[in-house]
Amino acid sequence: MSQTGYSKVQIYSSSTATNTPSASNLTNDTNGSELAINITDGKLFYKDNGGTVQVIASKASNIGNFSNTINVPNTFGFKNRIINGQMSIDQRASGASFTPSTTTAYGTCDRWAIAVSQNSKLTAQQTPSATETNYAGRVVAGFQNYLAITSSSAYSISSSDNFNIQQWIEGFNAADLQWGTSSAQTITLSFWVYSSLTGTFGGALQNYSSNRSYPFSYSIPVASTWTQISIVITGDTTGTWGKTNSGGIGVIFGLGVGSTYSGSAGAWAGSNYSSATGATSVVGTNGATFYLTGVQFEKGTQATSFDYRPYGTELALCQRYYTRILYPTFAGCDVANLQAYATSGVFGKVVDLPVQMRAIPTCGYSSLAHFAPSSANSATQSVFTAISLTNSTPNQIGIGAASGSSGLVAGNASVLVTASTSAWFDASVEL
Amino acid sequence: MFQLILDRNGTVNSNWIKRLSDGASIPFDFNNTDYQQFKKDIQNGVVLNDASGNPITGSDLTTFIGTLP
Repeated sequence: MSQTGYSKVQIYSSSTATNTPSASNLTNDTNGSELAINITDGKLFYKDNGGTVQVIASKASNIGNFSNTINVPNTFGFKNRIINGQMSIDQRASGASFTPSTTTAYGTCDRWAIAVSQNSKLTAQQTPSATETNYAGRVVAGFQNYLAITSSSAYSISSSDNFNIQQWIEGFNAADLQWGTSSAQTITLSFWVYSSLTGTFGGALQNYSSNRSYPFSYSIPVASTWTQISIVITGDTTGTWGKTNSGGIGVIFGLGVGSTYSGSAGAWAGSNYSSATGATSVVGTNGATFYLTGVQFEKGTQATSFDYRPYGTELALCQRYYTRILYPTFAGCDVANLQAYATSGVFGKVVDLPVQMRAIPTCGYSSLAHFAPSSANSATQSVFTAISLTNSTPNQIGIGAASGSSGLVAGNASVLVTASTSAWFDASVEL
Repeated sequence: MFQLILDRNGTVNSNWIKRLSDGASIPFDFNNTDYQQFKKDIQNGVVLNDASGNPITGSDLTTFIGTLP
């Protein structure tokens, strides 16, 4: 059918299945080459420089067959070096609001730390819950959760203030990027953000010694609207970058960063920068919001689709850095079979950890009132006044000593039972 | 605040410290950031108690810090 403004060009055509043009039927010359199409097979042919007829294109198929290796910018396994980038796991708070009160604190979505230089200037929370009003309107692009920061005041930051969200990628998980060498690989950082504020925001990549930084900036042009950001960053060819079980690469999102910790966007610097100069301060506006989800840090120069991993896999990745062992079903739950070494104390392994942790963890418990030992006649004794979890390793939580109970018999077994459905033990060795 | 820990045999544990704010046990492992923070804190004047709950001060504190890995 003719089309105004276009001239018809014809190529050789066949409707015979499996029919392929011979080399002598096709020309291949710099002054003009011929194509042939098989409309039954859905294949388009040309003759290459060597005189061989090649398939240049074929109709779509549900099956892709490859005879050679596939080389794509991003790896297929563990493409996203960020853990819990979709903010779906919150072992510590289970979605409750968290007010950080120490310099760098973990208390909301797993693996994400909130750094504050002043107390009570912001809250952090995994949200929303599926039961909340307008749940569907508050999530984006299939993500079921986000990390929400809400400013608690209108605080004017000083030069030395630093409020940020950060995650440290373990050195083992970044070693292949070869940062600190001439072979440093380029990466792409992508994420979704939403804020009640508009303007230029900032963040940075950083090494664990905090003497190499790459500040970046991005724009949120429309308030209260999810925006996807993608930033390509050339790998650092100098500096020292962790390659084992310590910190590798820090990914930092500024929430209000003073001039001391802000630098020029788009360049590596031998400084401790957490954001770009001139970035918007979230803590500067009372009630301002900043939501973050879908954070992906991948090798290559293009942001690709988010690396959704099975929930159990993502949880296990988190548990290398933090594990909370819950006993929520009923009070009186048997926790561990221990041995009494005195009338008042027990020792022994409490639990095997589900994942070997990064290093020997700090170990804690919900409350002394939540656990009690039983004696040989199965009677539950009074709770302890002290528990020391000094029998712990990267693979287990164990009680080295406990005191303050009564009625135990040294040398006898004693079952540790819960006295509350809020009881837990935890192990933490974050970066 | 931190406190030394008594083992079940009555001796002071030389590999762990107790953080009194939450009762957590912190290992003397340089790869543990809580341990790194503990070292900074006691060097900056945060109180360290002996196993009986009495503050360690002066040369005793200096000596203790010197033994930390």
